[in-house]
Amino acid sequence: MKPAPFDYEAPTTVADALKLLGSHEDARPIAGGQSLVPMLAFRLARPSLLVDLNRIPSLSGIEEKGGVLRIGAMTRQAKVLASDVVKRHAPLLVQALENVGHPPTRARGTIGGSCAHADPAAELPSAMIALDATMVIAGSGGERRVRADDFFIGAFETALQPGEILVALELSKQQGVSAFLEVSARKGDFGIVTVAARVAVKDGRCIDAALVLGGIAERSVRCAEAERILKEQGATPKAIDAVLAALPLDAVTMDSRSASAAHRRRLIPELCRRAIEAALASQVTP
Amino acid sequence: MIGQRVLRVEDKRFLRGEGRYVADIALPFMREAYVLRSPQPHARIVSFDASAALALEGVDAVYTAADLPASLTPIPCRIPTHGDMTPFLQYPLARDVVRFVGEPIAVIVASSRALAEDAAELVAIEFEPLPVVADAKAALDPATPKMYPPGNIATQWGFDLGKVDDAFAQADIVVEKSFSIQRHSAMPLETRGLIASYDKARSYLEVWGPTKVPHTNRAMLARMLGMRDGDIRFAEPDVGGSFGARGEFYPEDIFIPYFAIKLGKPIRWIEDRQEHFASINHSRECTFQVKASATKDGRITAFDVVLVADLGAYIRTHGDVVPSHAAASFPGPYAIRNYRVAATAALSNKTPSGTLRAPGMFEANFAREQIVDMLAEKLGMDRAEIRRRNLIKPDEMPWYVGTQSVNRPTLFDSGDFPGLFEESVSRFGWSTPLPKGEGPVRRGRGIVALVEPSGFGPFESARIEIDPAGFATIFTGASNQGQGHETMLPQVAAEVLGIAHDRFRVRHGDTAMIPYGGGSYASRTAVMGANAVHRAALAVKAKALAAAAQMLQAKEDELALDDGKVIVAANPSRFVTLAHIARVLTPGNAELVPAPKDFIKDDHDGLTGEVFLRAIPSGTAVFSVHMADIALDTGTGELKVERYCVSGDVGRAINPMIVEGQLVGGVVQGIGGALLEELAYDEDGNLQTGSFADYLLPSSHEVPRIEALVVEKAKSISNDLGVKGCGEIGISGVAAVLANAIAHALGTGARPTKLPLTTERLLDLVEPGS
Ligand SMILES: Cc1cc2nc3c(=O)[nH]c(=O)nc-3n(C[C@H](O)[C@H](O)[C@H](O)COP(=O)(O)OP(=O)(O)OC[C@H]3O[C@@H](n4cnc5c(N)ncnc54)[C@H](O)[C@@H]3O)c2cc1C
Repeated sequence: MKPAPFDYEAPTTVADALKLLGSHEDARPIAGGQSLVPMLAFRLARPSLLVDLNRIPSLSGIEEKGGVLRIGAMTRQAKVLASDVVKRHAPLLVQALENVGHPPTRARGTIGGSCAHADPAAELPSAMIALDATMVIAGSGGERRVRADDFFIGAFETALQPGEILVALELSKQQGVSAFLEVSARKGDFGIVTVAARVAVKDGRCIDAALVLGGIAERSVRCAEAERILKEQGATPKAIDAVLAALPLDAVTMDSRSASAAHRRRLIPELCRRAIEAALASQVTP
Repeated sequence: MIGQRVLRVEDKRFLRGEGRYVADIALPFMREAYVLRSPQPHARIVSFDASAALALEGVDAVYTAADLPASLTPIPCRIPTHGDMTPFLQYPLARDVVRFVGEPIAVIVASSRALAEDAAELVAIEFEPLPVVADAKAALDPATPKMYPPGNIATQWGFDLGKVDDAFAQADIVVEKSFSIQRHSAMPLETRGLIASYDKARSYLEVWGPTKVPHTNRAMLARMLGMRDGDIRFAEPDVGGSFGARGEFYPEDIFIPYFAIKLGKPIRWIEDRQEHFASINHSRECTFQVKASATKDGRITAFDVVLVADLGAYIRTHGDVVPSHAAASFPGPYAIRNYRVAATAALSNKTPSGTLRAPGMFEANFAREQIVDMLAEKLGMDRAEIRRRNLIKPDEMPWYVGTQSVNRPTLFDSGDFPGLFEESVSRFGWSTPLPKGEGPVRRGRGIVALVEPSGFGPFESARIEIDPAGFATIFTGASNQGQGHETMLPQVAAEVLGIAHDRFRVRHGDTAMIPYGGGSYASRTAVMGANAVHRAALAVKAKALAAAAQMLQAKEDELALDDGKVIVAANPSRFVTLAHIARVLTPGNAELVPAPKDFIKDDHDGLTGEVFLRAIPSGTAVFSVHMADIALDTGTGELKVERYCVSGDVGRAINPMIVEGQLVGGVVQGIGGALLEELAYDEDGNLQTGSFADYLLPSSHEVPRIEALVVEKAKSISNDLGVKGCGEIGISGVAAVLANAIAHALGTGARPTKLPLTTERLLDLVEPGS
């Protein structure tokens, strides 16, 4: 369990990092190392050059400007979890992070690293999709912006091209209340099934909804039909029954020793119901 | 001193990160080894080419079985087995055929571990796959191809006590169920490791890293290599856990020292976690088919058991001891005379197995205690009541079960089982109502009674030396993997000698310092190690009093020990210090033994005492009760252990805090075994567990506050101190009590019979048929 040989550079600007990443065929950025270091140790990743992003100050920080919250990709998960601004602006992100790993892994692990890694059972991709986040990507040709739903492509696969760096996530203010629930073998483990639920109710009408499942397929699954029912029928008990009947259970492809596809399928409606109810229950009546 | 909650002296260095483990030791010219292991569950090695690896700068050697002495035998089994197991023993390095994923094939020695791993990727091995025996079921199927000429069954045996068939014929009720326990094992946070260094000119081989049974293992190495015991030193550094698995004689224990001799340079091998999963003795995998009968008034009349254990690909040093203990002890703490068991130890293409804390007992308790609950349910009887009616009574002690395991009779020397049972039940509040479940949550309560053997032999040694400054050193034959011996043993000696316990040091596990040692296993150190220290201290005391009587011109029976001094009891101002006595008793000192005039004579041998104690084979029995409340989320299958109480009558608690720690730690480990841990294989014999992301250990979130009730009522009648071992009762009943609590919560007759209890399995129980 020792990594194959690699070179190592620690640039201090995004421009230098991009240059280094472009200079080597198998160069790879390293952020908190919470996923990449084990992959190196198991020789599942064999980069020729590691470009350490930890010394680039511009990649870290949480900033709210003009209604948009910008979180630097290198911001530690623990920082985001403890941030009042984030709690106010995008509570779903905090709710999701409570389920990500443990204090030591969150102290090192970054927001961007988790998204770039795109583990199919990770919590953050679902939260990003449910929040309609924008992923800010830097490459040799400059910056580009990708919607979260388009960013996450498959298992460990994102819209990031070789040589590109995820620099930040941008979030507009969260519409509505939310909850993040999961079933995992232990607290802090990747989810067997995760549910991110967000419901915006105004004057008794549901004006926006997001329901995103994780841990069940190659990437997080947005429950479009269920969201439509919520928006059309409102978040009433009857509508919730209809929502639960419209969940994309066929999307479940994950089938493992630790949890069969059938088990995941039966957990989905239960968790979705609880998540929607928990979100609605968190609604503060003014 | 005995009975005090002395803080563990060893914790300072462990908590500060100052422990010195084998990986912290380095020697000049030392090289690192990497063990190249089989990726195949069962295959013939067709060709092996290491030329590219050897060409790498910094690689010293790539050794295979061909580099070991041609006369080398397989690793012998060190304990008695049921029948001859020599056909199934493992050679240290695979010769023509590999039989499990992880079997050592070659050893790469290089300037660094990373380089050795680079070299490993360059070794070309061609395999011809052979048919795989995936599990015990396949092993028992006559149509399955044979792994060995004698077949896929290592051994079969049984007991048939009393009149089982008659008991079933006459019984008012009969219940029947099958249970299966999954393969899991010990996960010491420090993995195994060895450093071997050979001084060729003086013929002295030193090995750091052995533990558990260093003297036994040294003898085994000497025998296998044709060396003299005295030419080998085994030295135990700090050790981060064993739990029975670590410290057995493994393939690495022979080939690392041998290749250090061959290479002429010290070699260090540190097992990594991935290797650990594949190479440490696995344990626990077995199934029980149990039938039990009872009378209307809840008297259990018979157990009939079919036990099948899957021991993996080879028989290791522990032979068939795990199912052997399970078969011998299945009736547990109950007065049952009609007992039949048919046991089979099967072989499969998986990692070989050995013991894990409470070997065979964790498993047997899981099956027996559920069957007892089933009897109670069928009778409509309270589950505590049925146990109460069947526990062995104090006046029935000593109780001989009628079975034996590894040539030891299953015998309970002493105990007040009903006494502790009542105390535990009332402390827990067995009959207080459970809090109501909210929403989909259902609550349940479980109870389990069990008895564990402890203090198995065959012997133990202790030597105490008081130096001329009044400091004491204890040399114990027990080895130490973190249990607290460095605190507990001085408490025993301090009690006798009246020296503050912090003036002691404890040396252990080093064959150069300790001529004979039994080691640590089977909850034996408090029983054998502490009693040896106790008698060694008494020997020191006798010597000190004899010397002081001369020095003080007093009679021995007028003297007493007090705070490092021998005083005249009637006049404490007249005293000599132990330091003074030690000075006087130093060899060569003329005070009490003047120099002879014309002929040499015996001299003082210091203020020392040395003792070798012989154990009784059946050890001393410890009774324990486990009780737990759980909450089961019937919508998700998630389980929360809400309350847990474990009790044990340990006869005498030398350090109650350490005893409680053993009980609580055991429960935590048992929660892992019950709910989470599994060394999983696919149907083709490939190990699926490669990291702690797959092998789930319990964390603080899965563990409730655990109450430990330590009772000192039933003194052991077989040793001076009256102590019983406490290392295994904590883990032994966990799966059983959680299963009983879950069945209680379900209230439908459904039971968790298959470990581990994953959310999926639990939800299956909630929704039968799904
Ligand atoms: C014990 C443990 C438990 C865990 N439990 C969970 C859990 O419950 N849920 C969960 O989601 N995760 C869990 N994780 C994973 C953890 O969240 C990781 O932190 C995260 O997946 C990766 O973030 P990182 O900053 O450590 O990235 P790294 O490990 O450094 O990198 C991960 C990958 O992303 C790439 N990368 C990183 N940053 C960038 C960037 N800015 N631009 C482009 N590419 C980049 C790297 O090249 C690499 O391929 C756990 C990890 C551990 C060790």
